[in-house]
Amino acid sequence: MILTYVFTGLIILISLLVQGHPSFDVLRIAGVKPDLIFIAVIYLSYSFGSFYGEVTGFIGGLLHDVVSLSPLGMLTFPKFAIAFVVGMYGRSLFKSNILTTSLLLFAASIVKGFITLFLCYVFNEASASSVLSIILPEAFYNALLAPPLFFIFDKIFEGELEKEGYR
Amino acid sequence: MEFIIRHKSIVAFISFTLFCIISLSVQSSTFTLTAEGIVSALVSPFQKAYDGIQGGISRIWAGFTELTEVRDELKMTRAKLQKYESMIEEMSEIKRENKRLRDLLAMQERVEFKSIPASIISKDPDNWFRTIVINKGSGDGIRVNMPVIAYQGGQLAVVGTVMEVRGGLSRIAPIISPAVRIGVKLQESRFPGLLCGYSGNSNLCKMDYISRAAFITFGDVVITSGQGGVFPPGIIVGSVIKSYALESSAYQRAIVKPVIDYNLVEDVFVIKKDLDSDLFKIFEEEKAE
Repeated sequence: MILTYVFTGLIILISLLVQGHPSFDVLRIAGVKPDLIFIAVIYLSYSFGSFYGEVTGFIGGLLHDVVSLSPLGMLTFPKFAIAFVVGMYGRSLFKSNILTTSLLLFAASIVKGFITLFLCYVFNEASASSVLSIILPEAFYNALLAPPLFFIFDKIFEGELEKEGYR
Repeated sequence: MEFIIRHKSIVAFISFTLFCIISLSVQSSTFTLTAEGIVSALVSPFQKAYDGIQGGISRIWAGFTELTEVRDELKMTRAKLQKYESMIEEMSEIKRENKRLRDLLAMQERVEFKSIPASIISKDPDNWFRTIVINKGSGDGIRVNMPVIAYQGGQLAVVGTVMEVRGGLSRIAPIISPAVRIGVKLQESRFPGLLCGYSGNSNLCKMDYISRAAFITFGDVVITSGQGGVFPPGIIVGSVIKSYALESSAYQRAIVKPVIDYNLVEDVFVIKKDLDSDLFKIFEEEKAE
């Protein structure tokens, strides 16, 4: 399990760097970057269960809040909340294949976007235009990247998943 | 405790949710300042670590991007270098030409005759006939049959005669061409003869009509005799490399190697000397007969 923590930490760290560093602005499509931490959290939640997913989502979300200078909790809450739900029902609802992982990420990203929008509305400022300018493009982008990233993560965690009896 | 462990997911979810709500509430209220300080203290190590890593990654990334720029610059620099190298080549060629022209100028001063300096622009345009084309023509005062000389190895020597003149170009028949006939003599023994090209594509000349009484040795210098009215007397033509007596003739023949190397000669002087008009008339009459 230690290797799982190490790999998780590394994946979160790399995702944070990719998302936070301006050098990776080349990844922007239609003005948005994919939420790599979120994709990783969803994968971990889907593969290792609800608790692991939400803890990773919580830590990853906090770090994401820190690096993005958003109010602490704004990006954390949607991550661990969706990780919790995906961990609970993901495996029973979605079989792991390219289409379903894309669909899962698309749906999860839409929900995450609306939760964030709601939190912005309650605790900060919100604009309805964010749906078109942020939520939808990001959801498409995450859905597009999900299959290859899930494939890579599968390879990384292959041994651990078998050892821990998740497969 | 057992309940918490059994329902750790839900417990964690509630705990995290509460944390987020409190955090967001605190940050959006007047209490924010103090809470921000606490949070800041908590997250600053992460921030510092992140900044450090980000800086490192940034430098590595910059290295990659700069590498591409450096590659492009290298390509441009190579192109420039090639250009400059070609310029250097061009400059050295200009220097050589400059030196050559200076030498030519000095040579012209040394030529006793009134002459027109010219550069060779073409050699042997035809495979079968040895000719030289120079960049001066009738516009420069060059006339047919004018003698042409050149300096090679510091020595003034015969090149040939002008056989065709156009506005800005002239065609010269070198002495190695069988079409050219020059009155010559052996410098040492003073025996005269008639020099012409040995064959159409040879670099040698033959000196005919040498008296059998003449003692010819290898290396004997052949000079112009001045007879025939084309070349001034005393200009070096070449040296004897072989001589033999002709069986059916009262004369002997010498094979002469011209001083001028036609592969190396670049500049010539056309001597401004008209044929002796009387002699020319005699030649014309003989031709007509």
